Amino acid sequence: MSKITRRKFLAGSMAGGAAIAMAPTKKAFGANLGGFPDGMGVLVDMTRCVGCRSCEAACNKEQNLPDPDKSFADYSVFDEIKHGEKRRPTEKAYTVVNRYEPEGSEPVYRKIQCNHCNEPACLTSCFVNAYTKTPEGAVIYNDKVCVGCRNCMIACPFSIPAYSYSSAFNPIIKKCIFCYDTRLKNGQMPACVEACPQQVMVFGKRKELIKIAHDRIRRSPDKYDDQLYGENEVGGTGWLYLSGVPFQEAGFNVSLPNEPIINNVKDFLAIVPMVLAIWPALFTGFHLLATKGKSHGHGDDHSHDGQEEH
Amino acid sequence: MKKLAENGIKPHDAQLKPDGRKFSLMEKLLLGLTLDQYVQQVIRNKFNWLLALIFAVGIPLIIYRFIFGLGVVTHSSYDYPWGLFLGFGLFCMVPLSASGFMLGTTVEIFGRHDFEPIERLALLNGLLGYFFAVVYLLVDLGQPWRLAYPMVYSFGPAAVLFLVGWHVATYLSVQVAEVSTAFFEWIGFRRGYEFIRKGTIGLTVSGIILSTLHQGALGALFVYAPGKVHPLWYSASFQWIHFFVSSIPAGLSMVICVSTVVIYTMKWRCDQRFIDSLDRITISLAKGASMGLFTYLFIKFLAVAHDNEWAYLATGWGAWWLFEIFFGVVLALIVLGIGIHHKSVALCRLGALITVLGILLNRLNTALITFNWNLYQEIPHIFEVIIAITIFAIYIATYRFILNRLPILYQFKNRAEA
Amino acid sequence: MVSTGKKFMAGLAGLLLCCLTMMNCYAMESYPEEIEIDVLADLYEGVVFDHGLHVMMTEGCAVCHHHTTGTPVVDSYCAKCHADEEPMASVSCQDCHSSEPVTAGNVRGKDALLFHDDKPDLKAAYHLSCLGCHQEMGAPVGCQDCHARTETGDAFFHSGQFAPAESAGSSGH
Repeated sequence: MSKITRRKFLAGSMAGGAAIAMAPTKKAFGANLGGFPDGMGVLVDMTRCVGCRSCEAACNKEQNLPDPDKSFADYSVFDEIKHGEKRRPTEKAYTVVNRYEPEGSEPVYRKIQCNHCNEPACLTSCFVNAYTKTPEGAVIYNDKVCVGCRNCMIACPFSIPAYSYSSAFNPIIKKCIFCYDTRLKNGQMPACVEACPQQVMVFGKRKELIKIAHDRIRRSPDKYDDQLYGENEVGGTGWLYLSGVPFQEAGFNVSLPNEPIINNVKDFLAIVPMVLAIWPALFTGFHLLATKGKSHGHGDDHSHDGQEEH
Repeated sequence: MKKLAENGIKPHDAQLKPDGRKFSLMEKLLLGLTLDQYVQQVIRNKFNWLLALIFAVGIPLIIYRFIFGLGVVTHSSYDYPWGLFLGFGLFCMVPLSASGFMLGTTVEIFGRHDFEPIERLALLNGLLGYFFAVVYLLVDLGQPWRLAYPMVYSFGPAAVLFLVGWHVATYLSVQVAEVSTAFFEWIGFRRGYEFIRKGTIGLTVSGIILSTLHQGALGALFVYAPGKVHPLWYSASFQWIHFFVSSIPAGLSMVICVSTVVIYTMKWRCDQRFIDSLDRITISLAKGASMGLFTYLFIKFLAVAHDNEWAYLATGWGAWWLFEIFFGVVLALIVLGIGIHHKSVALCRLGALITVLGILLNRLNTALITFNWNLYQEIPHIFEVIIAITIFAIYIATYRFILNRLPILYQFKNRAEA
Repeated sequence: MVSTGKKFMAGLAGLLLCCLTMMNCYAMESYPEEIEIDVLADLYEGVVFDHGLHVMMTEGCAVCHHHTTGTPVVDSYCAKCHADEEPMASVSCQDCHSSEPVTAGNVRGKDALLFHDDKPDLKAAYHLSCLGCHQEMGAPVGCQDCHARTETGDAFFHSGQFAPAESAGSSGH
């Protein structure tokens, strides 16, 4: 549970501006803590996916999402291109499957949903703490406190959160919550995983899934690209991907750092208490130095003639 | 107003009328003119017609946005969650409003009272810039009525935006306090004026702290998006310094620009002290701005070197980056430098304008143009553009309304007796 | 979590089905010509599987039945242990593959046999086995090529009578 401690620590030092408190946290700042020890995850084996969209249908039903624009049995969605991009999760669909056609290979299908990061960028960027990483591994969202700044959408390295712009009075973030309320909380797998006919997805403890994934690569080195996407990306994600083709050919962002996104911001966060502590004395000192021997009672009548003092 | 002045009618500029009676609030609001005179001069001003046209289109659109949601005035993009309202309204308005703390520091902390004639204009520029940045924010937020949540209800203190929120809110209060001296003078509330005046140093120092942090924090906000902001505009280590340092020339140049507009269009409102010292102050401010710009230029290249991004300079985005740097920084530096050397106020003003445009370009580049450089380019919805322009027009109208009335550009004549 | 009672019932049902349809499957060269696979039928009807046709087309029982029929093992990975296996008592898919969805915990935790720790559940076993081969052989791969969608399935997929107005009539490939 060192993770919680760290986040709270960060919170404390920011809020109070306690400069002294920063000193012992230096190590904690740099450490990559890897998430809750018993956090759950899902291993997605894309070599098995046939693009049947059962997971999309299951998600729609489980989360009581609005009726889709097209039937889930309609595969023309794979050809949809908007702004030169394939589909992405929206306020009406928390998960989508896209088809990619790498050269010299059969089409591959990739399921996209929230990856439930160990150290979520959305969570760390939220100024009202609307996001929570639960010990079960889900990144959930509290729409009761969300102000609608949409910084989480900026921060998410996977471009997952969507926003219900169309609502005038209660627009909220819409994203996959790992079926937390209805399933994960009770130890059950998410609806999409259960619906999959090909068992593309295996639900389980993240650390077990990592073992299974590496076993699969070891047993069939010709079948898999030798990488488990999500094991290290942005500090590790709850959802992990195996692919038969290089990941960038299946639309993955392979340029993500292995450090959590928050680590990029820590340089700045670290100076905050320093400025709070040092500036007052520094500038009051400047003031005393600069005005020593000069008249102090300026401003009151604004009577100084600038030229004189120049 | 020019016409009225030619006819020998002078605007209200003292607590007491020539006959010794105090001006009433209504008379002060009407600038000491009669209602007829006031309305006539409003109608005579062509600029008011332009404003009226913008308001006629834009204000219904703002109401439309609040009734039907953001979806009807923007493209509702998930990939560009921040459009013009924040890209321009927040990220451009805030650095251009750094003038308040810059001049506050110069005059109050370093005791450079030779800058005093412009101090209040700089403070007002800061206050209004921040205030309207918040207005833009309110239009952009999904649930603006929850604006105070991070202050009172639910805290996310590890977030950079939490810091921005708190600091902008606190700094706005500080600026209100700083500008309130002018307001207290105007309404004739001597004790309030003296009370605030006593706390000047404290207010100014807190202004510096808050400005350092939130100007920097606006940059740090983009550090959350390493893959989305183009590497040339992204620097995990230096983003906040870039934003902070560039806000210094931005704020100073904005004051030069505003004072230029003021001296050409509102000369009647300026007193002799302001008019006489403006040329000297403009050149001094230009010196400050060029120092800031030079530092900024240096650390921009330092960041490229730090992350070893030289290769990007050879790409199309690199050319765009070089354009931003050479137009907004190098050209501005050259023009300012020549202006300072030859004591040419006109060149200093041109340099300041280029600086302002350069900073605008930098912020728009970071927030909108190079954001999602791997994806498509979002072109804002026409309604979004109109609303952004409308709010800016309200900003100008408010700015002018206050400059016309409060003793910002002029000093009350018979203040001592007030 | 699944109760043991439920598991037991599922097992019993599987066993019964096996007895009914594959009574004589232990004898070499004697197998059912047709099997109706419908234990999991819900969103789709059961599959009427032409076992005889598939026996004729494949190189050996072990393509689908791994090492349980006594014919030479095809998968080299299985062959490491099961190369010379005798016919076994259980050959039906559901004898080994759980009809309950599999999670990492219950696979790795309960199966003592190291190499069976990543065994798919029954639904996946069917689909992976059938569809994998169909893809390779150029056989039909559409969902409804093997099993028709039920009304429940149409409701689930928003297809057929439940299709959204704009795209009514569009069907699966």
